[in-house]
Amino acid sequence: MTSFDFPPTPNRCPDAYGPITTYNRLRCSQVAHGFFLDGKQRAKERFERQNEMAQRLEDPNLSERREQIWKHSGRLEAKYLRFLRTKEGLSNYQTIKTIGKGFFGEVRLVRKIQDGKVYALKRLVKTQMISKDQLPRVRAERDALAESDSEWVVKLYTTFQDNTSLYMLMEFLPGGDLMTMLIKYQIFSEDITRFYSAEIINAIEAVHNLGFIHRDIKPDNILLDRGGHVKLADFGLSTGFRKSHDSSYYQELLQKPPAQPDNVLRSQNRNSVNIDEISLTVSNRAQINDWRRSRRLMAYSAVGTPDYIAPELFTKQGYSFDIDWWSLGTIIYECLVGWPPFAAENPYDTYRKIVNWPHTLFFPDDVPLSPIAIHLIRSMVCNSEQRLGRNGASEIKNHPFFAGVDFSSLRNIIRAPFVPPLVSDVDTSCFPVDELPQTTTTDNNDSSSTGATGTGRVEDDQTPTPEMTLPFIGYTFKRFEKTFV
Amino acid sequence: MSNLFSGINARLRGTANKPGGGKIPSPLSPTEEAPLPSPSSVSQASQSSSTSLQSKLPPLPASPSLSQSIGIVGGTGEDALNSYLLPRPLPIWLNPAYAKHIVKGNFMTLSARPKTVEQGEWVAHQVVEHYRNLWNFVRVIYEKEDDGKSICNATSCPRMSAGANHSYTWLNNRFEPIELPAYEYITLMQRWISGKIDDEKIFPTDASGVSYAHNPQITTTALLTGPDEWIGKRSGFPKDFFSICQTIFLQMFRVYAHLYWAHYAEPFYHLNLEKQLNSCFSHFVLTATALDMLKPHELEPMQPLIDLWAANGTFPPESKAYEYANLKAGARLLQLGGMA
Repeated sequence: MTSFDFPPTPNRCPDAYGPITTYNRLRCSQVAHGFFLDGKQRAKERFERQNEMAQRLEDPNLSERREQIWKHSGRLEAKYLRFLRTKEGLSNYQTIKTIGKGFFGEVRLVRKIQDGKVYALKRLVKTQMISKDQLPRVRAERDALAESDSEWVVKLYTTFQDNTSLYMLMEFLPGGDLMTMLIKYQIFSEDITRFYSAEIINAIEAVHNLGFIHRDIKPDNILLDRGGHVKLADFGLSTGFRKSHDSSYYQELLQKPPAQPDNVLRSQNRNSVNIDEISLTVSNRAQINDWRRSRRLMAYSAVGTPDYIAPELFTKQGYSFDIDWWSLGTIIYECLVGWPPFAAENPYDTYRKIVNWPHTLFFPDDVPLSPIAIHLIRSMVCNSEQRLGRNGASEIKNHPFFAGVDFSSLRNIIRAPFVPPLVSDVDTSCFPVDELPQTTTTDNNDSSSTGATGTGRVEDDQTPTPEMTLPFIGYTFKRFEKTFV
Repeated sequence: MSNLFSGINARLRGTANKPGGGKIPSPLSPTEEAPLPSPSSVSQASQSSSTSLQSKLPPLPASPSLSQSIGIVGGTGEDALNSYLLPRPLPIWLNPAYAKHIVKGNFMTLSARPKTVEQGEWVAHQVVEHYRNLWNFVRVIYEKEDDGKSICNATSCPRMSAGANHSYTWLNNRFEPIELPAYEYITLMQRWISGKIDDEKIFPTDASGVSYAHNPQITTTALLTGPDEWIGKRSGFPKDFFSICQTIFLQMFRVYAHLYWAHYAEPFYHLNLEKQLNSCFSHFVLTATALDMLKPHELEPMQPLIDLWAANGTFPPESKAYEYANLKAGARLLQLGGMA
């Protein structure tokens, strides 16, 4: 006789609970999911490192160094484990300077107090992210950067958060960005343009190989490292085809009438001439400089500049990896001509021009461009069906404009045209720091971290509201770094 | 800090085989008490419902598995299940249909120590990871709604229990075991564990203090033996580090056991969180047994679930958790659930 049986299965009633439990249910599910996702990724990388080490131990040429290899591996892994255990928070860093600013937060140059190392710390204000529906963006950026281990992509070391902000600790690239370079030099020769665009091709290819579409390739996001080489940043719009990256962000933008963007931009433009006409006609450098100044302000605004965005992002017809090649085409245009092809006084007019590109893309007579360069741009700034790069980056690399370029040796062998002349590890001369309000360093204690490693202390839950924590679960990340001190 | 927090003990409740089988008076005395929480004292004390059964059986050699020894060589899965004195009907979490996971594949990949990493360092890492995981579930029953009521409260769970057969006590400052509502027990447990984990002297985080695993074929550093050597010593962990970690794991196990016995349906099943709970707990059991943080007999209140997970492939055959399981009992549960 069988004496065992199971109780009848009760109907689930997830709605029978109060708001706190409902909130905790979502949080619990996400945290558990994130734990296994991150854990699996870390285990995978750990095995790869151990295998690599095992191979080196077998290498007869390294037989003298076997003990050293073993100890090094053990210590490196241990440091990473301690890093994972350590509570991360703003108080671990000392602010040196604010080096960038955007609508959603700012980027500071910081020094880690424990080891004195210098990083760029990006801070995003949670309330801003929520009110502007930026949650998928911030998640996308975290995922893209966390998964990449490419020398073409800015390195993300760790992410953490407190009740008001999200933080991304990234490598500091002292060379500034391409936007600042363009503002400074106004125009590049074809040789210099070739160098930067070739490097950007490699960088975009690296991002695509990770399964991400960047979607926001623009001069502000193209950073320059110590040697003047390119690295991509700002993956806020990148999409790895995950549910959490979905957003109808652009659709909404399009439906709104002109001049909806923020006041900073409008107040600036009130005193400036009609930029629309300038870009269509002449190279009046003074007026273009006005455009450049508003360009920088635009970068600080919520909407950002739409200048480099492919038309299919605005229409509902769907898009693919090749939208990033359109963006590169418009950047090449800007490098050679001095302003982007669809520059206009306000974002709405730029949208209209982009969607209407067959009638608005043209090359000014007074700026000499080689036919090959024009051909390249026209092959990229065109319908998705005909766009160069649609079948892979090699299509672009093989364009005659890049004849003679050895793409594989760019970063490590070729000397960049502009090497930042830096005097220290915290030299910010390549950043527009003068234009940025400098916060005092005393704000390090403006918030206590409940951060990365919160061990769930009962008393330190300062009852953050669900909307301030729930969407940001799984944001925390810590990279294994071969150069841990 | 009051001594109340530093004493941990468990004891045997009378055996009752009905769910919520009432208050059984005159619990047995704890078999052992210690002023400080120590794994030996607690693990001894947590042997419970099976003691009476064991006494009827011929003594067995120190076996890797209490359940196997109870399971009677040649006995059936039914016999083994009977020996667990489970309530009828069986708890819903023993239904194979609800013993599933949010992850596929071998959990062991998450808990396998990299060969070069010093053992103490790895144990410290696992303690912290599992503690964060556990607290993620505890929060669901622990945090109060706006009306001030938590799901686990003094009325719902007047004792810190794992079914009718197991309840756990704390030692008060006179080293007397005291019975506490589960909610208060969890509060004390949480404070005690985070007090350890956040103590730099016990869990150092300074990157400069790290070491590596000894490998006689490669490393030439002499290893001490005897009382002057302990796990984690070379990485700066204190002498009692390993036993502290064992106690932390034991405490965490008790809370997991409470979550299953008292809160599996209410609220985890209703909130669709049972797969998450199963995944974190099975990972916990695999890790704790692999690192010798939990002894076979300490797993007792959850033994049938461990049997089930060994039988349904959750625990890989090379794991200690699998070794500690009674496969026949697990297979019988699968059969009862119509999954065999």
